[in-house]
Amino acid sequence: MTALTQPRTIPATNTRSKRTRDPVRWLYFAAFLVVTVALMLPVIIIVLTAFKPASEVNAFPPSLFPHQWTFANFKAIFSALPFGRLIANSFGFAGGVTLFALMFDSLAAYALARLDFRGSKILLIVIIASLMIPFQATLIPIYKIVSDLGWVNTFAGLIAPRAADAFGIFFLRQFFISLPRDLDNAARIDGASEWRIFRSIILPNAVPALMTLGIFTFVNNWNDLLWPLVFTTDQKMGTITSGLTLLTGPGGIIPQGIMMAGALIAILPLAIMFLLVQRRFIESVASTGLK
Amino acid sequence: MTTQQQLQRRRPYRPPGQLGGRTPLNGTFKRRATIVGFLAPALIVLAAFVGWPMISALQLSFTDASGFGTPRFVGFDNYVRIFTNPNIVRAMGNTALYAVLFTPVAIIVALVLALMLNSDRLPFRGFFRSSLFLPFIVSLAVAAFAWSYLLDPQIGLLNYWLQTAGIRIGNVLQDPVLAMPTVVLVAVWKSFGFYMVIFLAGLQDIPKSLYEAAQLDGANGWKRFVHVTFPMLSNTMTFVVIVALIAALQAFDQIYVLTGGGPYRSTETIVMQIYQSGFKDLDLGFASALSYVLLIVTLLLSLVQFLFFGRRGEDTTS
Amino acid sequence: MKKLASVIAAAAVLAVGLSGCSGSSGSQSSTGKVALTFWHGYTEADGGVLDQIVKDFNASQDKITITTQTKTWAVIDDTLLPALSSKNGPDLVAMTSDRLPVYAKKHALTSLDEFYSQASSNTASLKPEAVAMETVDGKKYGVPSGFVPLSVIYNKTMFAKAGISTFPTTWDQWVADAKKLTIDANRDGTPEQYGLALPDHATVGNGIWPSLFEGNGGSITNDAGTEATINSQANVDTLTYWAKAIRNDKISPTGLDGIAADKLFTAGKTAMEVGGPWMAGVATASKIDYGIAAIPAGPKSQAASAIGISLAITAQADSNKQKAAEQFLAYFNDKATSTKWSLGSGWPPLRTDVTVADVSSNATVAKLTAISPNTRALLPGVVNSTDVLTAIDTATQKTVAGGDPKQLLDQAQTNITSALAK
Repeated sequence: MTALTQPRTIPATNTRSKRTRDPVRWLYFAAFLVVTVALMLPVIIIVLTAFKPASEVNAFPPSLFPHQWTFANFKAIFSALPFGRLIANSFGFAGGVTLFALMFDSLAAYALARLDFRGSKILLIVIIASLMIPFQATLIPIYKIVSDLGWVNTFAGLIAPRAADAFGIFFLRQFFISLPRDLDNAARIDGASEWRIFRSIILPNAVPALMTLGIFTFVNNWNDLLWPLVFTTDQKMGTITSGLTLLTGPGGIIPQGIMMAGALIAILPLAIMFLLVQRRFIESVASTGLK
Repeated sequence: MTTQQQLQRRRPYRPPGQLGGRTPLNGTFKRRATIVGFLAPALIVLAAFVGWPMISALQLSFTDASGFGTPRFVGFDNYVRIFTNPNIVRAMGNTALYAVLFTPVAIIVALVLALMLNSDRLPFRGFFRSSLFLPFIVSLAVAAFAWSYLLDPQIGLLNYWLQTAGIRIGNVLQDPVLAMPTVVLVAVWKSFGFYMVIFLAGLQDIPKSLYEAAQLDGANGWKRFVHVTFPMLSNTMTFVVIVALIAALQAFDQIYVLTGGGPYRSTETIVMQIYQSGFKDLDLGFASALSYVLLIVTLLLSLVQFLFFGRRGEDTTS
Repeated sequence: MKKLASVIAAAAVLAVGLSGCSGSSGSQSSTGKVALTFWHGYTEADGGVLDQIVKDFNASQDKITITTQTKTWAVIDDTLLPALSSKNGPDLVAMTSDRLPVYAKKHALTSLDEFYSQASSNTASLKPEAVAMETVDGKKYGVPSGFVPLSVIYNKTMFAKAGISTFPTTWDQWVADAKKLTIDANRDGTPEQYGLALPDHATVGNGIWPSLFEGNGGSITNDAGTEATINSQANVDTLTYWAKAIRNDKISPTGLDGIAADKLFTAGKTAMEVGGPWMAGVATASKIDYGIAAIPAGPKSQAASAIGISLAITAQADSNKQKAAEQFLAYFNDKATSTKWSLGSGWPPLRTDVTVADVSSNATVAKLTAISPNTRALLPGVVNSTDVLTAIDTATQKTVAGGDPKQLLDQAQTNITSALAK
C-alpha cells in the first residue's frame, strides 16, 4: 500500500519558460484552434441564434451574428415555460439516476472485474447483451412495471429504471481490469476484506472513470427525451428537455430563437459541470500517484 | 526499466498460495455472500427494468399485441413478416451501411482528438477538452436546428459562404446518395466527444514511464503509438468499439430529426421501423420481433468484436 | 459498509421524499364528481381558449370536473399508447385526424355512434366533410375540433413589386404569376427569389399534393378508402404540369419539405407558399406583410385538403366517464361554444350554421371561412396512412427530381394497394 501511494514522479524535461517559447507548440495550438472552431460552428450558431430577434432567425442572407442583439428570447422562455420547476426536475432526475448508477454500477463492476467467480464472463455478456435491445422495444413493458408499482409521475418511478445500467457496469469493469492487480492483491495478502479493498483502493484510483461515467450518465439523462416524455404525463413532473418540446407550435413550427435560448440555459449546468470535472479528473489522476 | 518489463509487470499477478487461486475464493459461504452483495443492487434493478421487459417483449413478439385488448398468439408470423417486408429489408441494409460508416469514423476522429488533447505540447487543454465535449451535451433538437441552418440549400449559412466562392453543395439531405453520408457526419459530430472522453480516461491510465522508456529506446511517435498506446488502450478500445457498434445499429433519433428516413426511405433504419410499427402503427408484436432480430444481429457482431479485441485486451486481466 | 448503507438510505429517503411532493394528480372522485383528464395539443392562444371552454363547462354543472393537460400533437402521439396501455392515459384526447383511424382500429377509442344518434349531442349541424374524418369502418370515433383548409399565404410586398394586384384563381394564372415573381437576376440558373415554395414531400399536413390531384379531378383512394386510385391519367397530368413548372420554369426549389418551405417564406426567398393557418402568426413575427388566399382552382375544381383535429373518448374511460365525456362533447358542439372556439382559436367554424358574418370579428377566421367550402378530409378512415403518404411523397419527390410521372405513380399505386391491404 505504502509503495503505491508514493508518487512516482516524472522528471520535468521542460521548464515552463522553455515550453511557452516553443514555436511548434504554438503552431500546434493554432491548428487545433482552427479544427475546434470548425467543429464548434453548430454550437456557435445555437448560442448566437438565442440572441437574434424572430425576424432574423430564418432571414436571408443568413448571418452568424445577430444584426440586432436581443434578450427577448430569454424573457420569452421564462414566461412560456415553468423554467425553474423544469430545471429542478431535471436535476432531481439526472442527479438521482447518476447517484444510484455510480454506486450500483461500481459495485457490480468490481465483482465482475476482481472477484473471479464462475460465470462472471457469461454474466458480463448477458449484461452487455441487455444494451442491444432498443429502448423503444422495452419502453412499454418498463412503463407498465413502474405503473404497477404506483410510481407514475413520481421521481422514484422516473429514476428507478435507470438506477443501474449495463453501460456503466461495462465501462467501469473495463476500467477496473486495467488497474494493476498488485494494488489489491497486496492488500488481500494483508487480510483486507473485499469491501475494504473496493472502498479504499479501487474507488480512489477509479475517480477519473467514475467522474467520466458520472458525466455521461448525467448528460444522457438530462438530455433524454423519450422516457421523461412518456413517463411524466403530468407536466409538473416534466424535465427541461421534455419541456422544451412544448414550444413546438402547430405545423411543427418552432420559435427557434426562443428554443435556442431555452437550450442554452439547459446546457449551461452541463457545460459548467464538465468544465469543473474535467480539471478534477486530470488532477486526481496525478494525485493518486498511480501514473 | 524497459517498456517490455513494464508491460510484464502489469500482467495479472497471481499471488502464490491460497489467496490467489480460484478454488479457495469460490469455496466459502462468506465469499459467495460477498459476491452476491456486490452484484445484487445492480442486478435487481437490471432484472426488474431490463430483464423482465425484455422477456415481455419476447412474449409480445409472438402475438399481435397492440397495447389494447387481449393479444392473440400468432407464432412466428411477425418474424416471417420482417423478412418479407421490402421496407424492413431495405432498412436493414441502411442500418448496416450506417454502422459501417459511423463506427470507424467516429472512433478514429475521437481517438485522434484524444491523443492530441493528451499531448503536453498543447496549451489550454482544459478549454479544448470542454469545447470539444459540447456537441455531445447539446440536445438533439437543437443540434438539428444548427445543422439545418448550416446545410439548408437555399438559405443555409454554408451554402451562402461557399456560394461567394462559386461552390454549391446542393441539397445534401435530400440527395438519395449523399443523405446517408451526411447523417453519418452529423452523428459523428454529435458523439465524437463522448468517445473522446472515454479515450482520454483510458489514456490517463497509461503510465507515463512507459513512454519515457520507449523514448529512451529510441521509438518515434508512431512507434510509441503502436507499441505503447494502442496495446495499453485495448480494454478501452474493446469497450468503445462495442458501444459504438451498438449505438450505430440502434441509430434513430439523430437521423429522424434530420431526414425523417428520406429521401425515398434511403436513411430509414431498423429502429426507425421499430418506432414506426410500435408507436405509429400500434403493432407491438411486430416491433418486438424486429427488436429481437436486431438484438441477435448486434450480439453476434459484438461477440466477434469481443473475441477480436478481447484476445489482446484480456492479457492484462485474468 | 456502513457508509455505503447510509448513502443508499439517504438516497432512498430523498427519492421517496421527492416522489411524495409530486403526487396529487387529480382523482377527486371522492367528492362524488366524475373526474376526467383531457389531453390536447393546442399550445398557442387556442390552448388558452380551449382551457377556458373547459373551465366554463366545469362551472356550468356540478357533476363533472375536467382537467386539461397541454402537450404537443407529436408528444400526444408518442405517449398515448404507453399511457393508455397501463390506464394512466386521458379519458378525452385531441389528436390529429390522420392518427384517429389507427387508434380506433386498435380499440383504443370508444365508438360514438350512439352519441351521434342523440339530438342532444349537437352533432347534426357539424360539417359533414369534417365528420368524415371521424369515420372508421363505418363507425364514428370522434368529434371534429379543427377542420381548416390549406391556403396560400403570399408576400404582399413582392406582389406589389411584380405589379400583381389580384391573387390568381386558376392554376395557369397561378403559375404565370409565380413565374413573374421568380427572379434570377444573375442568370446562374438558381433564382434568388422563387415565385412559390412548393414542397415535393412531407408537405404541410401532407395535404398539398392531394389538393392538387383533386383540383384536376384525381384522387388517391376511392371514397371508402379501400382501393388505390393514384395512377389515374388525371394524376399523371397533374404531376407532369407541376413538375414542368418547378423544373423548367424554376418557380420553386426542388427537394423542399413543408418546414423548409415555411422557412423560405419567412426568409423572404419566396413570394408564396401553401401553408396552414398558423403561418399568419409566423409571418407577422418575421415582419412580412402577408395575404391569405384560397388555393387556385385546378382544371376540374377548386379543392383544398384539410388539417383536421379530432376529440375522442378513450377506451380507458368506463361507462360513467364516457357519459360525462359525451356531455362535454355535446357542450363543445353547441353553437355558442363552437362560435367562441372558432373566434378564439382562429380556425374556421365546425358547424354549417355559423356563417362568415358570425365570425367577422376575427379577420383571419372570416377569410378562412370564406375559402373553406371545398375543404376535404385527407384519407378519411385509412388506417395505414403513413405508408400511403410515403408512397405519395416518393412519387412526387422523384417526379420533381426528373422521374417519369406515369411510372412513379404506377409504383405508388402498387405500394398504396399493399398499404391498404395491411
